[in-house]
Amino acid sequence: MAIRLSHWCCLPAVLLAARLTPAAAQIPEIAVERHLARELGLSVGDTLRLGPTPDTVATLVRVAAVYEPRPDPAEIAKRERHLRMHVPDLASLLRLPDRVDRLSIGLNPGISSDSAVAALNRTAFGYRAYATAAIASESSQTFLVVSRFHRAIAVITIVASAVFLLCIMLLKVEERRLDAAVMRFIGVRRRTIFGALLLEAAVVAAFGSILGTGLAYLAGAATNAYYGRFFDTRLIFSLITPELVLFSVALSLALGIAAGALAAWRLVHTRPLVLWGRG
Amino acid sequence: MASGAHPALGALGPRVSGLGWLKSLGRHRLRTALSIAGIAISGAMLLDMVMLSGGIEKSFAEMLLARGYQIRLTPKGTLPFDTEATLSGAGELIATLRRDTAIESAGAVLGTSLYGRVRDSLVTLFGYGIQPEAQSLYVLESGRDLEPGDSLSILLSTPAARLLGASIGDTVMLVGRLDPQVVTASVGRRLVVRGMVHWVYDYRGQPSVGTVLPVMQTLANERARDRASLLIVKVRDDRAVNEVATRLGTAFPRLEVNSVADLVRHFKQRLVYFRQLSYILGSMSLIVTVLLIATLLTITVNERLGEIATLRAIGISQATVIRQVLVEGTALTIIGGALGIVLGIATARYLDSILTSFPGLPAAFSFFVPRRESLATAGLVLLVTGSLAGLYPAWLAARAPIAATLRAEAT
Repeated sequence: MAIRLSHWCCLPAVLLAARLTPAAAQIPEIAVERHLARELGLSVGDTLRLGPTPDTVATLVRVAAVYEPRPDPAEIAKRERHLRMHVPDLASLLRLPDRVDRLSIGLNPGISSDSAVAALNRTAFGYRAYATAAIASESSQTFLVVSRFHRAIAVITIVASAVFLLCIMLLKVEERRLDAAVMRFIGVRRRTIFGALLLEAAVVAAFGSILGTGLAYLAGAATNAYYGRFFDTRLIFSLITPELVLFSVALSLALGIAAGALAAWRLVHTRPLVLWGRG
Repeated sequence: MASGAHPALGALGPRVSGLGWLKSLGRHRLRTALSIAGIAISGAMLLDMVMLSGGIEKSFAEMLLARGYQIRLTPKGTLPFDTEATLSGAGELIATLRRDTAIESAGAVLGTSLYGRVRDSLVTLFGYGIQPEAQSLYVLESGRDLEPGDSLSILLSTPAARLLGASIGDTVMLVGRLDPQVVTASVGRRLVVRGMVHWVYDYRGQPSVGTVLPVMQTLANERARDRASLLIVKVRDDRAVNEVATRLGTAFPRLEVNSVADLVRHFKQRLVYFRQLSYILGSMSLIVTVLLIATLLTITVNERLGEIATLRAIGISQATVIRQVLVEGTALTIIGGALGIVLGIATARYLDSILTSFPGLPAAFSFFVPRRESLATAGLVLLVTGSLAGLYPAWLAARAPIAATLRAEAT
């Protein structure tokens, strides 16, 4: 069972007490998470005193292990520090004998969790049973909201990129006005000019996509390095999957080609003299 | 160069007389329209990110100061309602605080889970134990407020009233801790609904009830030790808040003393992700704006090099040419930025509706707060950036070799 060190500020005093107290053989053992151990300079074998309130820091415990906490995105911004101890030791420390926050139940094979939950809740008084999936769904609500926010930002970014791309392609194609005029004067067909301009747009879009993918990998690596150090965690903040790369490349190619096609269509339907600037 | 300052201006039309930028932009309507659309979207994103970067803490600070209480005292190492930790001897602490001449008002609050009995079933509620003479948690919507020492009355939020099927004047049954071993509630109280209130820190749909502190302590089994979740303090002089908070921190070493500024700082630390995201996306919006304007103006200048060389040949100064290009960039920025503000406010509402659906977030909280200063900051940054984006094309235009360009145009 984990205790949340909400009273972390009292720990320096606890540490002082630990230094003055020789290690005893029959005292409760605790496991301290790496961050906390590092911050307080604790190592295996050290003793310290714990208490539920600053004025009742009296229970002597010994550090039996230093552990790496499982990366939890829900906890990361809180920067809370945890330690683990046996349930009876914690209950005794809190003066709440035989009380727990929750119980975990493993069902026999073939028993449906829904029916077990329903049966427990029918007979329950003072507790409520939940299926693990329901708890997971509830606790992932925060991340669903963040995902929705990211999707909304992505849509805005895509719209902005599409307009930007269209604008750049239009300018790029319009740069070829004189070339297009000359080609038209010497009898090159509109379709050929259109195809050439479209091909050029596709090549530009393809190069842009490759460059963009490279930039995304660099930005992702920088993001992971920065936030990994910032929060001192192994969590991955930016994950670029092959599906994501494929989607992004396909989208930018489609947008680039569509923008190029629109601009090229306008160009080939403009009179050559106008393109030449004499129309 | 001012209009009419040069004899050739009359023949050249309005292009160098101040409205040249308009004619230049109108010459390529699609191109201009797309650029304005791009700037508008970038401007909207920039505005949203400016709102997001500053809105979080402002909204939080406003919420905390809604009733004027500037300091919170909580168990050591905790923030208000962040854990289930409570402090003991609340009455004695409050009495000590109220004796302080710098303090106008002080009150204790206990928050706890409890149950309401509806026919033969129980519904889960959140209960606030308050001291009505000093409270910062609710605004009365209808009915009447609790009187100090009124241990027979209760205030309900709309969701709680709906859940309990109760309205003003009804009696509700509240039940404290349930004991599964003896299959009974340890304590219960019948209370009369006096008023409907809006709890400032409740999340959307939270079924909350409030009664005087001793009643809630009894229901939570915390009466004997006179426990409270937090103490709230209103300082007479706003300027003395920090000094009083420091003094209280020294006087009560087993408590955590936080002014609103301290709480905002803690909150900012937790939402650091959104602040950093706003900086990154805001910067990207500016880069897109600069690229759009610089590209458009550079190509426009290149197309008009012959025209610019002609103007230079008849005596139009470099400064005038530079000004024309910069005005064109500024005009694009202003038009795009104005559209961007409208678009930004609309998208901010949508994005805010997403983020405020965070579970457990107070309903009164906003991430995107449209304020005059946010609009001004976004507008100014966009304007300066957009105008500066015209510098390179303006430099190109000013440095165009007159003779060589005219010769090239002629051939």
